Amino acid sequence: MSVINDTKAIVIGMWTTWKHIFRRPVTLQYPEEKRIPYPRYRARIVLTRDPDGGERCVACYLCSAACPVDCISMQSAATEEGRRYALWFRINFSRCIFCGLCAEACPTMAIQMTPDFEICNRDIMNLVYEKEDLLIDGCGKSPEYNFYHHAGIGVTQRRGAGLEEKPPVDVRSLMP
Amino acid sequence: MSLQKGFMPKLIIDNIAVEVAEGVTVLEAAQSVGIHIPHFCWHPALGKAGACRVCAVKMVDGPVKGIQMSCMLPAQDGMVVSTTDQEAMAMRRQVIEWLMINHPHDCPVCDEGGECQLQDYTIAGGHGLRSYTGKKRTHINQYLGPHIEHEMNRCIQCYRCVRFYQEFAGGTDFGVMGSAGRIYYGRVEGGQLESPFSGNLVDICPTGVFTDKTARFRARYWDYDMAPSVCPHCSLGCNTVPAARYRELLKIVARRNDAVNGWFICDKGRFTNSVVNDPARPRYPLVDGRKVGWDEALDNLLLRIREFGAVHGPESLAIVGSSRLAMEAATLLYRLFAGIAAGSLCYFTLEEEADQARAAITHLNDATSASMGDVQEADLIALVDCDLLQDGPMMALAVRQAWRKGAKIFLVENDVAPEAQKGLPFEWQSVSLLSDIPIREARKPVIICGRGKGMQDVAPALTSGVKLAYLLGGPNAFGAALLSAGHGATTLAQAVASGKVKGILAVEVDIPPELLQGISFIAALDWRATAIVKAAHIVLPTTAWVEMDGTYINNEGRAQRFKKVMHPGLPIMGLDPAGHPPRRHETAPPGGEPRPAWQVVADIIERTGTERDVQPLSGQWQWLRHLDAESPGQRIWQNMKQVK
Ligand code: SF4
Ligand code: SF4
Ligand code: SF4
Ligand code: SF4
Repeated sequence: MSVINDTKAIVIGMWTTWKHIFRRPVTLQYPEEKRIPYPRYRARIVLTRDPDGGERCVACYLCSAACPVDCISMQSAATEEGRRYALWFRINFSRCIFCGLCAEACPTMAIQMTPDFEICNRDIMNLVYEKEDLLIDGCGKSPEYNFYHHAGIGVTQRRGAGLEEKPPVDVRSLMP
Repeated sequence: MSLQKGFMPKLIIDNIAVEVAEGVTVLEAAQSVGIHIPHFCWHPALGKAGACRVCAVKMVDGPVKGIQMSCMLPAQDGMVVSTTDQEAMAMRRQVIEWLMINHPHDCPVCDEGGECQLQDYTIAGGHGLRSYTGKKRTHINQYLGPHIEHEMNRCIQCYRCVRFYQEFAGGTDFGVMGSAGRIYYGRVEGGQLESPFSGNLVDICPTGVFTDKTARFRARYWDYDMAPSVCPHCSLGCNTVPAARYRELLKIVARRNDAVNGWFICDKGRFTNSVVNDPARPRYPLVDGRKVGWDEALDNLLLRIREFGAVHGPESLAIVGSSRLAMEAATLLYRLFAGIAAGSLCYFTLEEEADQARAAITHLNDATSASMGDVQEADLIALVDCDLLQDGPMMALAVRQAWRKGAKIFLVENDVAPEAQKGLPFEWQSVSLLSDIPIREARKPVIICGRGKGMQDVAPALTSGVKLAYLLGGPNAFGAALLSAGHGATTLAQAVASGKVKGILAVEVDIPPELLQGISFIAALDWRATAIVKAAHIVLPTTAWVEMDGTYINNEGRAQRFKKVMHPGLPIMGLDPAGHPPRRHETAPPGGEPRPAWQVVADIIERTGTERDVQPLSGQWQWLRHLDAESPGQRIWQNMKQVK
């Protein structure tokens, strides 16, 4: 019977409406009231350091390749000891859409998203962050990872002394 | 299997019927119908080794059955091959996983990343997590000189490097040593690689063991500015792909052209990037050392030419091009010469280079001109007056390939300086005269001719069937000679000797100081910081070959187009003292003033008022406009009835 069904629908609908009229509102009066987002919220991006304090980023260009809006740019270079690092590293936050693909692509856990979403600015150039604006003093979300301890190029340890490595072989040995 | 001549085995690969020439492997047969079978050790120029085991296919029916290595197996009649069979795919997947057992966790810091065959196949095979828990074997690297970085941990033992270095290029100071899991590719002692073709290790190694040290840690494949190009460092015109980024030329790799350089290039062509990135390069138009805009510079040039003409007479001005000037500008020089009524037009500076290039355009035609591909197929090669490793290194590699196939190599002793005989990657027999060589007995003889007095003996030796190659002075020496002959041009040396030259308009040319005595006015167009640019009253900066489209005609008369790779301008690195790019927006790059030489010449012609809207490559050169840079190039005789 359509009359009974229609009436039921109206009553249920009105019941829901009236119920909410007497509920406490969920709207926060931002910016007077502030809400802390979850730790995995995706906002302002940082570059982290490894547990030894070294810059984690090896300037591998994977984040800039993954970025769908091309807002990351950098130049890789080598230090005296052969450590690959970013000579400069720039994120244009006026373009960034906070998709987190860069953080997902990063093989060294260097680039990470933080919950700090309050980065509005009147001058666009202030939203172009250089490496010194991005680099923080801690490890962020992966406190124990150090890429160079796993890599084979032996920058932070002797060659063949990495975590998964045997010491270098003796090429001239004839043992089986 | 029948061995009769012309027998073509028919086989079926992935349900596609294929017919190939006898001796062709299953892997190549599959490639001929567009089926790509993964492989590391097989290479078209090096052949098979059967070392990597990754080209496994399943032979479903026919003379051989079961899992087989497709690179080792000659195609035979009645074979039925599956590349997608479960067992074959599992085999290939497992081979990759084994190869990765010892592979370092290096991709983010490895310059091969993004252009790495191992990386591609590992991802294609779906191997993502290492299930082997044992430790990885490691190696100590060697110093291999300023150009090549060595990282032995990444090696997958495919033997490509050593097959190229020793067999293909004839190098003796690099090889493979060790046994079992300790196989090592390197030198007995660390030190600079001696072969002038060592840079090809970078291209040929399917992993990051050998990477270009001059571009170390600079950029990734997907960020490069790249375009098909031609090497400008000698007359052979090897095909290349330069890679640039942020207005800096980072590296150059070889581009395949079977008629010219095959798969490889020499180290001179690969590692001479610094001339493009040279901070001393002329970047701005200069009048008496003062930076000015283009209009002011060109106006000033015209004014000075007029003043000069009033004092010395316009006929005492010489317009000088060179063998390194691309065809676009070279063809315009005559119109400039006519436009300002100058006295001399020169495409060559010194007599010797002009003589040789003249000999080349006289003796070469479509039938007699030997390409490097022809040289590789020759059965007798005579070397007259050449310094192969200096004037055309890839020609030496071509001669070596002929020698490996059994060709006899003769060197006319009197004509080749002893120091030019050092390090040639083949064995030869010395003779004292060209006429001592049994050229008539050979089926495919080639004479390779350099610069010097031996050149005169070549013409009498040219009987039918003899092919000839010249090692000329620059990438467009052949084109310059054609133009020079067509316009009746002289050499600068001659013009100066006649005593009438008082001023020089130098268009991308190096002029020895003794020819500049008594010259009161110099204007120079160039992209190199040459002595003449430093001495010039007016400097008009031009673009390097990687910064423009252009055409060279190489030593065998083959016109080849090269494309613009990068924008001219100061490299981004170093523009801002803080290390990062400037935080100020500009619409034009700083130092981006250089223009292609043809454009500058066209501008000058237009300002003389004789012509409007000057375009390069007109008249009999019009066909050059339609050259495809990706094609193997075109020989001039196919396009020009009568070459003047
Ligand atoms: S992906 Fe990570 S390591 Fe690579 S450049 Fe980006 S931040 Fe640096
Ligand atoms: S050789 Fe290839 S797979 Fe190995 S570390 Fe380098 S890029 Fe990665
Ligand atoms: S160094 Fe490179 S080319 Fe040589 S065997 Fe190893 S992986 Fe192959
Ligand atoms: S042989 Fe000549 S053209 Fe070829 S790469 Fe070497 S220098 Fe360049």
